[in-house]
Amino acid sequence: MNMDFILQQILNGVSLGGVYALEAVGFGIIFNILKFSNFSHGAVLTICAYIGFFISTHIVSQMIPALVITAVLGGFIAVLLEKLVFRPIRIKKRPLTYFFVTSITVMMIVQKTFSALWGRYYFPYPEMMKSAVTSFGELVVSKIYLMMLAITAIVLLGLTIFLKKTKMGIAIRAASSDSWAPALMGVDTDFIISLTFFIAGILAGITGFFLGMTYTVTPFIGELMLKGIIAAIIGGMGSLGGGVIAGILLGITESIIVAKVGASVTPILIYLSIFVLLLVRPQGISGKLYAVKA
Amino acid sequence: MMFYARVLEITLLYTIFVIWIYPLTGLTGLFSLGQGAFIVLGAYTAAISYLKFGFNPVIAIIFAVLLGIAVGALIGLPTLRLRKDYFLLITFGFSEMMRGLLLWTAQLTGGAMGIAGIPKYVRLPTISISVLVILLFMSNLKKTRFGKNCIAIKDDELAASAIGINVFSHKMKVFMLSAAVSAYAGALYAFNIMFIEPNLFNWIESAKLIIIVFVGGLNSLTGAFLTSVIYYTFGEVFRFANVWRDVILGFIVILVILFREKGLFGNWEFSITKIFRFLIHRLPTSKEGK
Amino acid sequence: MEVLKVDSISKNFGGVQAVKDYSMIQNDNIITGIIGPNGAGKTTIFNLISGVQQLSSGKVFFNGNNITKNSSFERTRMGISRTFQNIRLFNNLNVIDNLKVAYGFKTEYNFWQQMINSGKVRRVEKEVHEFAMSYLTDFGLEKYKNYKPDSLAYGLRRRLEFARALIVNPKLVLLDEPAAGLNPQEIHDLIDLISRIQEEQKLSIILVEHHMELVMKICTRIHVLDFGQKIAEGKPEEIRKNEKVLQAYLGDEV
Repeated sequence: MNMDFILQQILNGVSLGGVYALEAVGFGIIFNILKFSNFSHGAVLTICAYIGFFISTHIVSQMIPALVITAVLGGFIAVLLEKLVFRPIRIKKRPLTYFFVTSITVMMIVQKTFSALWGRYYFPYPEMMKSAVTSFGELVVSKIYLMMLAITAIVLLGLTIFLKKTKMGIAIRAASSDSWAPALMGVDTDFIISLTFFIAGILAGITGFFLGMTYTVTPFIGELMLKGIIAAIIGGMGSLGGGVIAGILLGITESIIVAKVGASVTPILIYLSIFVLLLVRPQGISGKLYAVKA
Repeated sequence: MMFYARVLEITLLYTIFVIWIYPLTGLTGLFSLGQGAFIVLGAYTAAISYLKFGFNPVIAIIFAVLLGIAVGALIGLPTLRLRKDYFLLITFGFSEMMRGLLLWTAQLTGGAMGIAGIPKYVRLPTISISVLVILLFMSNLKKTRFGKNCIAIKDDELAASAIGINVFSHKMKVFMLSAAVSAYAGALYAFNIMFIEPNLFNWIESAKLIIIVFVGGLNSLTGAFLTSVIYYTFGEVFRFANVWRDVILGFIVILVILFREKGLFGNWEFSITKIFRFLIHRLPTSKEGK
Repeated sequence: MEVLKVDSISKNFGGVQAVKDYSMIQNDNIITGIIGPNGAGKTTIFNLISGVQQLSSGKVFFNGNNITKNSSFERTRMGISRTFQNIRLFNNLNVIDNLKVAYGFKTEYNFWQQMINSGKVRRVEKEVHEFAMSYLTDFGLEKYKNYKPDSLAYGLRRRLEFARALIVNPKLVLLDEPAAGLNPQEIHDLIDLISRIQEEQKLSIILVEHHMELVMKICTRIHVLDFGQKIAEGKPEEIRKNEKVLQAYLGDEV
């Protein structure tokens, strides 16, 4: 195994891992605040992959504006979903499992609807910069990967600043901790929850666009959310930072295993290592362990 | 007539797929997205041990169930001590891992091509008896102390352990039981449908099974049974509407969750004695006996 | 005789010190009250004693055995029972089943014996049923035996939870705010009930409570907590006069 090979895999892995990190954060931010596994994240992601295809082929063909429009639409779709289904469940004080079942139902509806309507067609994103490559010495990097990596970094940095510095961001973090404090801070709980869904939706939009661009758009694209969920577990549920680190690590590991051993063994090795990790260190990288409250 | 017998066969077969949800989710409140993987595991184990190793079908089915239980124990061990979310997500991962495993061991499993040419050993009588036995078992389970402990765990895990219930051991037993039922159903599937492939039961199918039970009501075994019978009969009879069937189901689930919390059947249960009394009244032979 | 010994236990929640170096010795046949302002760490102490939460440092002994590493259900089986501040009953089981599942670990038969409903199981279950009924009658709940707990009035739910903690015949009972949400008449009844049961069963009880009248009336010893630390300990009349306590706690109320 030479140095260049490893560097090459790390580079590929980091940009792939960036996408997983975005998924992990989008999944984790809802988990933190409402404490349920939000599978409808995958539904928003799927819808956005299709929207991104439509926008970039019919409206603007530049990547950045198309991405921004998709992301914002993703945010609104997530908020709409929250208002239509999750909020009524919350108001009616249903148990937590109802949120989960609803979210997975939404995922199923979206997947089956797209399968029924366009399941047989093939939707490639426009070429954009797909073929363009840059080389650093021996290393060859696709420009699109670099672009994705840069955007991921900017988004995560922006989100961190938002969560740490703004009043609303701090309110979201307060709501994520066990003691529900935003009401005390004079911030409307409903608004905070909608805002969180909006952020998660934006992240789903970006991920949907990226995944649509790297692979092709199919009704099953939302299932790639699984990688983000794995990153969230490895990172330690409830820790966004841990999820980001785990996402990138997962991306790198995956690239190396795929290149060295083969694509079909990858899932087996990855899940086996997660079982081991959970046995040894259930709290994940961040060391935060959720306990049931007394 | 053949067609209706076939519909009945498929419907009952799928009903066994649904029944595991009752002990795991209905009684104990755990969600598994990996149960499809146990079905696949059971189907492949049965098919391979019959075709490649020449076991008798009965032994092949027993072998499938035992392997299902063993794998269930292996997955439960690290995850069932943790928060329920971990269990849910890891079982989700397990279903993906299963698919990877089947593709990787293509020499044994036929990879993406699946396994064809399995003889049809399982027909309507076997399936109906299985459904009946499993239903009786589950309805009995609900009435035992063990079943009530499980309900306590579903309602409040912390309080359950505070009154001396060993939560982890109950969860393990229930998970192994549901893994056994799933693997058994998978083995029956292999010997009935005669063809299996890695994608026959992915996580969204597992999720769909849970969703079906939610429509009927988590607390009612009868509800789970009837909803699954209606759903699968509908699907087989109206093949043309098949692609939209799950979308319709999805909307019904959301409406049920919003407007009828306990599902269509609530806590209502068809009691065994009621069934027998009903049968005795209807059957002409028993009337003659009176 | 010493029932419980808590040896300088501490608990951190991500940097926040909820309980710091708390020690206590609890003898049998007495009632100890733990009082203190909200957030003083009273419920956390109960969680650490009952094993619901793991402690950060320190040791817990029960009947002379070190139970620090034992989990919640094991401690209950040894004889530590508790109730919760926000009543935690099983709402999908009816009232009598709530008591029966609590009594469950006292009966010894395996899963398969239950499934075939063997003669032994039926005999024992009948005894358990009668025993549970006698508790329901004792607590004035016999009318509601087939109700679901969430359909009962608040005071009755508190009483049911108390009965559930007592049916296993524990040596030590932890009562977390037994009077919270009750009206004066119900509190009066509760005081009678606790005193009566304590006397009958020679129980050792620790209770966390805000209702001062109840604490002063039935407790033999009182511990006062503030910011996770014990600031005073003594007989009710001593606590009443204690300067520190008046400042930290009673001060804002009087």
